[in-house]
Amino acid sequence: MRVGIEVGGTFTDFVRIGPEGVRVVKVPSVPSSPDVGAFNALVKSGVAITEILDLAHGSTVATNAVLERKGFATALITTRGFRDVLALQRHNRTRIYDLEYQKPDPVVSRADSFEISERVLSDGTVLQPLDEQQVVEALIPALKQGGYEAVGVCLLNSYVNPAHEVALRDLIKAHLPDLHVTLSSEVTREFREYERASTVTVSAYVQPVIDRYIARFEDRLAEEGFSGRFSVMQSNGGRLPAQAIRDSAVTALLSGPAAGVMGAARQAARSGYGNLITLDIGGTSTDVCVVTDGKPELTNEFTIDGLPIRIPVVDINTVGAGGGSIVWVDDGGMLRVGPHSAGADPGPACYGRGGDKPTITDAHVIRQTIRPEAFLGGEMPIHPDASRAVFAPIAARFGMSVEQAADSAIELANANIVRAIQLISTERGKDPRDYVLVPYGGAGPLHAAQVAEDLGVGTIVVPPNAGVLSAYGLIASDFVQFESLTRRAPVDDNAGDLVREVFESMKARAVERFEHLALGGDVKLDFIADMRFVGQAFEVPVTLSEDDVRQVDRELISKMFGQAHEKIYFFGADSDKPIEFVSFRLGITAELGELPLLQEERSYRVPRGEIELFDRRRAWQGTLLSRSDLAEGETLSGPLLLEDPTSTLFVPAGWQAVTDEQQNLVLKRMA
Amino acid sequence: MPDGISTTKLDPVDYAVVSQGLIAAAREMGVKLIRSAYSNIVREASDASAALLDRDGNVVAQAELIPMQLGPMADTFRACAELYPVSELQEGDFYINNDPFAGGQHLQDVFIYSPIFVEGELIGFSGTVAHHLDLGGGNPGLTATAADVHAEGFIFPPSRYNYRRDWNGGPLERLVAANIRVPAQTIGDFNAQFAANAIGMQRVQQLAAKYGAGTLKAVMAELLDYSERRVRAALRAVPDGTYHGEDAVDDDGITDEPLVVKAAVTVSGETISVDFAGTCEQVTRNLNCPFSSTVSASLSAIKSVLTSSDIPFNEGVKRPISITAPQGSLLNPNYPAPVRARMEAGYRAFNAVMKAMAQVVPEKVIAGGNDTTIVTSISHLEEGRYRVYLEVFGGGYGASPNVDGCNAVDAPLSNCANTPIEATDMDFSHFRIVGYGLLPDTCGHGKHRGGLGFYRRYEILKDDVNFAIYADRFRLSPYGLFGGTDGERSRCFVERNGEVIEIKSKDALDLRKGDYLNLYTAGGGGYGSVEERDAADIVRDIRHGYLTADTARQVYGAEKVGG
Repeated sequence: MRVGIEVGGTFTDFVRIGPEGVRVVKVPSVPSSPDVGAFNALVKSGVAITEILDLAHGSTVATNAVLERKGFATALITTRGFRDVLALQRHNRTRIYDLEYQKPDPVVSRADSFEISERVLSDGTVLQPLDEQQVVEALIPALKQGGYEAVGVCLLNSYVNPAHEVALRDLIKAHLPDLHVTLSSEVTREFREYERASTVTVSAYVQPVIDRYIARFEDRLAEEGFSGRFSVMQSNGGRLPAQAIRDSAVTALLSGPAAGVMGAARQAARSGYGNLITLDIGGTSTDVCVVTDGKPELTNEFTIDGLPIRIPVVDINTVGAGGGSIVWVDDGGMLRVGPHSAGADPGPACYGRGGDKPTITDAHVIRQTIRPEAFLGGEMPIHPDASRAVFAPIAARFGMSVEQAADSAIELANANIVRAIQLISTERGKDPRDYVLVPYGGAGPLHAAQVAEDLGVGTIVVPPNAGVLSAYGLIASDFVQFESLTRRAPVDDNAGDLVREVFESMKARAVERFEHLALGGDVKLDFIADMRFVGQAFEVPVTLSEDDVRQVDRELISKMFGQAHEKIYFFGADSDKPIEFVSFRLGITAELGELPLLQEERSYRVPRGEIELFDRRRAWQGTLLSRSDLAEGETLSGPLLLEDPTSTLFVPAGWQAVTDEQQNLVLKRMA
Repeated sequence: MPDGISTTKLDPVDYAVVSQGLIAAAREMGVKLIRSAYSNIVREASDASAALLDRDGNVVAQAELIPMQLGPMADTFRACAELYPVSELQEGDFYINNDPFAGGQHLQDVFIYSPIFVEGELIGFSGTVAHHLDLGGGNPGLTATAADVHAEGFIFPPSRYNYRRDWNGGPLERLVAANIRVPAQTIGDFNAQFAANAIGMQRVQQLAAKYGAGTLKAVMAELLDYSERRVRAALRAVPDGTYHGEDAVDDDGITDEPLVVKAAVTVSGETISVDFAGTCEQVTRNLNCPFSSTVSASLSAIKSVLTSSDIPFNEGVKRPISITAPQGSLLNPNYPAPVRARMEAGYRAFNAVMKAMAQVVPEKVIAGGNDTTIVTSISHLEEGRYRVYLEVFGGGYGASPNVDGCNAVDAPLSNCANTPIEATDMDFSHFRIVGYGLLPDTCGHGKHRGGLGFYRRYEILKDDVNFAIYADRFRLSPYGLFGGTDGERSRCFVERNGEVIEIKSKDALDLRKGDYLNLYTAGGGGYGSVEERDAADIVRDIRHGYLTADTARQVYGAEKVGG
């Protein structure tokens, strides 16, 4: 039996897949102790812990530690002359007209930043040896006195030659064996000292948090007789055994959204869909991601609370449009949706908890695309009158009915979501029309059809139990680890050999690291070269298959780069300008043997019947039914409202719905 | 009547969606221009901008990349359209202009506009501007002693050309390439501009295909009115009256005389005007600020102080605002004044407007900061090839009524990122950066303190290394406001064999192997009196070493600081 437990900000989702079928549970999260929420879900599910073979977990514990600055006392050690690297950052501003601009607040303060005499040059040679005496006589006593739990080390040019970082760790460990020491060269071997220092300090900062959390979780599991495999989700879309994540805590940041993308990718692949745009609409925000050939796009440019983290993560774009997003009219008379949200408390007006601003959820209640009786499986009372009351001023302002005002708000929210998708598709040279849309989360399936229409997407694939897809994603994910390496070199006649040499050395190191995890089975490799025209400052990723690596030469790599550049920037393919490699990334994956089968949980039932609803500026007669009522192969035309225990799915007029043999609900736009 | 939506026939949803689509398209153009550019000024300093314009050349939506580019798009366009009417344009044509005396700023900023046709009808333009690394002129990069604008580089007068015929291997491209020093990179940056224009064109055509050209044109018109309404609403909240402000550039690099800038800001109902009468005359060196730059600096001050940051910038924003400066003055120089270092006077225009507004909206302004573009160049001729390191620095921000000024950050009118030390280590062998850090005690004090300046320390590794700088605030301190004290000034000096050689704010010097070059940048002024400073903030500043305990005791008193 396999179990996935995903702890989100508001709810903890649980999926169990075993011979007895699928069981889905949703319980409120316990923000102060995510593990308590996780075990509550386990208890509620009635699953015997001793029967679980594979337990995969994702939680917000690392993310919250950073956002709330609740990590342990952490120090940073830099090369002498550069202790202010975290305070200086990149010298630019993210809000250019903000006179009160403040930089992102690093997790390690200036008082906790230390320097040590040493200097390595960019070719790896040592200009000044590590001053060991200074380490022993000054640095170590200071670290001891500071009462630090963790220390991050970022020495200049350590991405080329990490010897000083390693020697420094050995010295510290010899004197202070209980201190967690994290080296920048082991977290990300890429140049740009601020980004690397930021990555290593955040990594060091969350290390003890994750370590203790995993230890506590494992203890509890052991008490309950658990003997299966316990793994934890990462932000790169793969998981790692819990023991390994204790040494790689930074990869656990923002793993929840990545789990959802993986769940969508795996479940859609079952029905033969490899190219998808995922759409996860929650209470305050929407996450979108592009998956090509079954693989989510990865990015190396990721920030948490404004702090850069240079590790490969699933490239998820987030926009402040969700059920709680507030609908308002600005001082120029424009109708707006978000980014402010009513949150969970007071929440939308229809919750009856004092919310007095119109929200997207209220708009759905007015349009009757959310049925009050069915909200959260009927477990929460909803007040439609309150929704109408808060929308009345907007309706009056624009001289429209309350239904029209609510419908306009939904259209605008959808437009915001469409732009978020265009940012990661059209703007990156990917045509959304080559993709299917995969909605999930509480409200994804409600908005999917209109979003698809605006993007020109003709097919929507709604996975079963779409409201808890992230939890499924946990157990459907492979085991993955990434390596990175900066190696600036011109693309010349030697390019093929260079690529092969880098590939082989990164592969050897990755395989060795991976073997320690004892996962067994075959491994797969992903290899990406980050390249640019000489003189540019930003790189374009070029993905190389193992076949490409074997046959690559100057001509082939130039062509591949030129095409990748042109797709994004509208020029480059036919250029004869010099090109250079900047860095390389290698991912190693142990694929899951057999994918667990996600199916509808059939306990939820609503009688099939006629309903009235408002959509796209007019009223419609539609059909209401439980999603599980739609028999395999049965085709129905919209307007339809399909409910399951975790979400509501809206099929507007002009779309047909059919359940396929994988229990994905496939919507097709009628010509 | 601010409630304009109800008076138009536009559907509110179409309007909101299409207008956001136009803004998104302009932003995409700008981001891609920067990311694909070669010039380090474009890619690190974001010294570029992109916009969509209507058929008449009104900027409808602009990528907000650098405040200094807020003004000139419409003016450089109009200079072209007056000579080559819009009605005669064909597909593939483009306008080009970099003339500081025809709407432009300095020659390095070249503006290019491409017409957008939908089913044969010209409905608007996509336009971009980028700072080009080298456009000829007296010296590579920087010509501090240029006697006139001709010594500063290649002038594109307002003109019309055709991409297929004249660029792309055609005569204009060949002419430009022959007159500049690094044609591969510079032509590459021009191509990035053309590509960004093509992106904007495609996005507008996609919007037109979906919503119709009629709706698109109506949205463009409404978007201008919308921004205008929001600016007018903000201006209504400001009490009427005329307010004066004054600041000065340290000197012109030749004499020790400050270059005074005076602003009279008049708020009247829903309008605001800025007049720079009383400002000093234009100078012989490159510190002259073309009028277009004066406009950008003033608009940036007004926008930052008075209006909400989410008002989309377009021509509508400018309608209630008028800006004038005497012809022949530092802020509106006559041909053929050299203008390369326009930013310094531009900053003083920004400061003068800010000081004037401090009298009427004290809760919205900040104290003086480093507010200077410090441009440094360390170059070396190596095996017949120039190695040019150019970097632009800021310093501390002025304090506000609510927060301490930001430490060590670029100044308000620009937005340059630093070059990573590891990148300079990789790229240059004639110097090495050996220190980069905050400068404690450089802030002005008060209820809120200014931001700290920072230092850079370079070890020179070869003989015959050339150093050039233009900067400011070496003599005149960043000012405090409402009892706050002044910030520390900038300083630059070289250590050579135990001797210290002071460098002026506009200066050049040949460096030798073994020299240490030091740059200290200015800290921001304080806001409010030191008596009002929270003791906990002082303790924090001492703990983090932003203030030394000695300075804290001197400024805030031993009883407040303790010990």
